[in-house]
Amino acid sequence: MTVDTAARGEAHRPAPPGLMRTQERLLTAGRRWFERSGAILLLLPGAGYIALAMAMPLLQLGLGSVGLSGSGSGSRLSLDAFRVVFADPMMRDAFLFSLRIAVVTTLLSVALAAGLAMLLMFAFPGRRAVILLAKVPLVVPSLIAAFLVLTMIGPGGMFARMAHHAGLQWPQLVHDRAGLGITLVLMWHEVPVTLLIVIAVVASIPRDLIDAARNLGADAWRVFLRILLPLAVPGVSAAAVLVFIDTFGAFAVPSLLGPAYPQALPVTMTTEFLERAHWEVASAIGLIVAVTTIAVLSLYYRLLAGTDRVIAA
Amino acid sequence: MNPVWIIRGRFARSALGLAIVGVAALVFMLPIITAVLWSLVDPDVGWFPPDVVPASLSLANWDHMLAIPELLESLGRSLVIAVLVTLLCTVLGLPTGFSLGRGRARYMRVIEVLVLTPLMMPGIVLAVGLGAVFIRIGLSQTVLGVVLVQTAVILPVTIRIVAATARAIPGDLLDAARNLGAGSFAVGRHVVVPLLIPGILAAALLSFIGSLEEFLLSFVVGMPKVQTLPMLLWAYLGGRSAILSYAAVVALVLLVPALVVLAVVERFLKQEYLAAGFGKA
Repeated sequence: MTVDTAARGEAHRPAPPGLMRTQERLLTAGRRWFERSGAILLLLPGAGYIALAMAMPLLQLGLGSVGLSGSGSGSRLSLDAFRVVFADPMMRDAFLFSLRIAVVTTLLSVALAAGLAMLLMFAFPGRRAVILLAKVPLVVPSLIAAFLVLTMIGPGGMFARMAHHAGLQWPQLVHDRAGLGITLVLMWHEVPVTLLIVIAVVASIPRDLIDAARNLGADAWRVFLRILLPLAVPGVSAAAVLVFIDTFGAFAVPSLLGPAYPQALPVTMTTEFLERAHWEVASAIGLIVAVTTIAVLSLYYRLLAGTDRVIAA
Repeated sequence: MNPVWIIRGRFARSALGLAIVGVAALVFMLPIITAVLWSLVDPDVGWFPPDVVPASLSLANWDHMLAIPELLESLGRSLVIAVLVTLLCTVLGLPTGFSLGRGRARYMRVIEVLVLTPLMMPGIVLAVGLGAVFIRIGLSQTVLGVVLVQTAVILPVTIRIVAATARAIPGDLLDAARNLGAGSFAVGRHVVVPLLIPGILAAALLSFIGSLEEFLLSFVVGMPKVQTLPMLLWAYLGGRSAILSYAAVVALVLLVPALVVLAVVERFLKQEYLAAGFGKA
């Protein structure tokens, strides 16, 4: 502050010292006021909107699932909706189906993205073009990917037609009970997202560390196993959690490419809400999805705290 | 990321490059060619297996989609919604992002996590929860309702980008301006705002494309009265009745703005914006 005042005194024509001091005091007070309450005032619009947009639906789902959000039948506290959801084998299958899609998609996406990232660590002609191409799915909606996959590997798709000419039988990959078609479309979007995060994580690893290891005689494999892999684990697992949450709650792709039975949980939930107007049941499913998400997130933070200690040790 | 390893043999390097570029091109180009072919199928002849190429091509599907009001109406509605969402996100996200980027108070960590929560909760939970709230207060199946619900998931992206930009402004620059006699207002006007503009533009661009492509929340809140372009695509892909030729037309219309945005981002913007913006779509 003293430097400030001195500099300002030099830069301007000298003002009456009294006025100067009052101005300075006002400015300092203003800055202090801004630092205290101004920051909160500025935070309010965005953070307030998000807080409302998170609290309202969760409250609605919470109250709705126990029959307290009064739709038609009147408000009465009951756990009927949960009883319906837990007793229905269709709901159990939907939950397991969504869970399996999410786990399989997450594992495949992370594995593929990690492999691609490793390939991209080599210098080869066309490397930049590949990185650019890999970003295309980031801006292309999953629905377009669904169309592309449907016309490529679906029954009557490009590959099926080519296989026919080669005299081969093309397997059913869309509307299949294993959800393979769904996984493929979800991967179209999740692999580049994961790849981008993995690249950022690897780029943040100090180059000196790698050079030092190589100078000390470590070969490429050792550098990868002992330095890159351990340092990449936290970032890559964060990407995996994001992929899991995204795919566990996926609606559009399973609704188009899923089998008639089992349906994905979000598809069941949307049907209950939009077509049957069973708010209580839809709310109960929504809470189950939310609780699963929170469980995965807290498990992640628990495990991450562990890896931090391992790396430090 | 710069390459870490160099392959010594010139032949091995070229072979690896050729293989990877070839596979990448196959994965991306073949589906797009197929989409174009589907949109050009002659409806009188059709395109039935096992033909690899349609027997006859025509622009009939394009003529049909442009003749019925559904496509252009959905496109117009999507654009209006995208503009409104972009404006709302900028107005709400600019002060918050700036404050989050520059603030050092302890509660900033909490706000940072709060801002991320819409990206950590599956969209379906927010969609049905907000959908039910909106039905009760009469915002369901209105353009305003769709704008508000999209803002909930796009605003975090805006805030993160603005915050990252504000954080990157060097404190020395602000001190220098103050030392040279600039008041708070002058510092804001001549130093902070010009440095924030690239971030604000990047955030606006990504909000716009995010809104244009958002499906789930718009679907639950807007159907059937407020139909956006992705909802039309969903309908033709089998949500209503599967008509692949019409779906191809809608998909290609939707693909153009996406690729334009990617080109602009690639050409003019720093790469961090894409990473911050597409953590989740």
